[in-house]
Amino acid sequence: MARIRVWPAESRSWGAYWRDHGRVIRDTSHYVTGRFATTLWVWLTIGVALAVPAALYLLEANLVRAAGQWRESLGFSVYFKTGVAMEEPRSLVERLEAMDGIERVWLTTPDDALAEFRELSDVGDVLGLMDDNPLPASVRATVNPTISPSGLTTLAEAAAEANGVEDVVVERSWLERLGAVREIVIRLYWSLAGILGLGAALISGATVRVAIEARLEEVRVLTLVGAGRGYVRRPFLYLGAVYGLGGAVMAAMAISALLLFLEEPLERLFGSYGRDLELAGFDPIFHLMLLVSGAVLGVIGAVAASNQRLKRLNVA
Amino acid sequence: MGVEFRHVVKRFENGAVALSDVSVTIPTGSLTFLTGHSGAGKSTFLNMLLRLDAPTRGRVLVNDVDITGIKRRHLPVYRRHLGAVFQDGQLLDGRSIFDNVALPLHVVGMRPRDARRRVRAALESVDLLNKARLLPGQLSAGERQRVVIARAVVNRPKILLADEPTGNLDPTLSRSIIRLFQRFHDVGVTVIVATHDTELVGTMGSRVVELDHGRIVGSGGTNADG
Repeated sequence: MARIRVWPAESRSWGAYWRDHGRVIRDTSHYVTGRFATTLWVWLTIGVALAVPAALYLLEANLVRAAGQWRESLGFSVYFKTGVAMEEPRSLVERLEAMDGIERVWLTTPDDALAEFRELSDVGDVLGLMDDNPLPASVRATVNPTISPSGLTTLAEAAAEANGVEDVVVERSWLERLGAVREIVIRLYWSLAGILGLGAALISGATVRVAIEARLEEVRVLTLVGAGRGYVRRPFLYLGAVYGLGGAVMAAMAISALLLFLEEPLERLFGSYGRDLELAGFDPIFHLMLLVSGAVLGVIGAVAASNQRLKRLNVA
Repeated sequence: MGVEFRHVVKRFENGAVALSDVSVTIPTGSLTFLTGHSGAGKSTFLNMLLRLDAPTRGRVLVNDVDITGIKRRHLPVYRRHLGAVFQDGQLLDGRSIFDNVALPLHVVGMRPRDARRRVRAALESVDLLNKARLLPGQLSAGERQRVVIARAVVNRPKILLADEPTGNLDPTLSRSIIRLFQRFHDVGVTVIVATHDTELVGTMGSRVVELDHGRIVGSGGTNADG
């Protein structure tokens, strides 16, 4: 009995590899432009599927950015007992500045507090009648707006352990509300990104499957003349990438239009609080991420569809 | 490359037996006709050689290599050593005759200049060089079949397989197609042609293997290849 051995394989040069990709790109452009109405329809459908999670991603990014605008109100204040030596508050300032999650720390001495009280209060002069300054030293710390409520509590508890501390007041409600909203948006984002991303891949896969059916004769001929699965599958993967990429471009256009539509009223809203608005979403990184996600989802759909179909066609 | 079938059985999932204990040796460089009525097992025989199908039992040897043991990932490379011609032509309508013939060379990544030379030679061998730029739809049935033969030989295969290559052609065209196979056989290619046209085979004088209901019922050479 003859020994089973691997059939001698020809080696392919890099030139052949690039020539082949060039030919596939030309074929794919012909295929896509030859069926432009269908292609546009696929792009729009994938575009909608990508635009929804992308919009939620931007909502979350803009929430964080808006929170940053009000970061001065995010944090806690540490009030010392009256008459505590100033070394204690100063020491706490140094410790807080070294902690992760702390953005900025201010020390207010009893004299500073008194001056501020006089300036802001109509009854400030009353304090001048007293022999001693009754106001305590205090330390105010602002935190990173992305910090969790439990993280803020941990920082505040650490501050409360300092010597001479009378009370620690945490501005928690704003952070908790923001955290809750962010949590909802993030969960919505991941859920919809999963569902609609799968949808985008399925749309690409279904369309690629139609393309395979339209080119069955070619697939059979290629199999007969010795083309491997990689060679046969390549045009369909390119097609999937084009569908995904086109869908991502549609999504990017939709998102940009949405941002432009919302920018003016949001500017007015922020302006009424004396803040400047700088919307996240116009940056090239976001658009690049969107395009890459679209192309990857398109290719995933194409890989799934072509693997399944070509296996049935016995393409080795 | 010679071909040998050893006790090959092919039973389909529905229970139908396409080949039943077929043992035959086809010598290197011979021209062999597989004859028999429709359903005799001729196409299954060729599909075994192309490894489009695998035997239920038995062995198929090509050049002393048991091709039933070739791994799936090596099948494309194996098939590049074969040329295949089928009755329905299987030309790609959207591509020119030249591009159709060049297809096997694209698959192996041949340089365009070398591929052009090979395609011209293949088209010349079937007298269709002057129609290289036309589309398949612009050719007659006989011309289309000659294009398929050009595509099958452009890669200089060791074995040329043809399944009813004259099925849709009139007797004159059929003879011209068979003469083409004889020309490739003359230069040392092993040619196996499956046909139900026993009259045509009778005029050619070559080795004949007759199949009936999946069994070999006759085998032998005539004056040319005996």
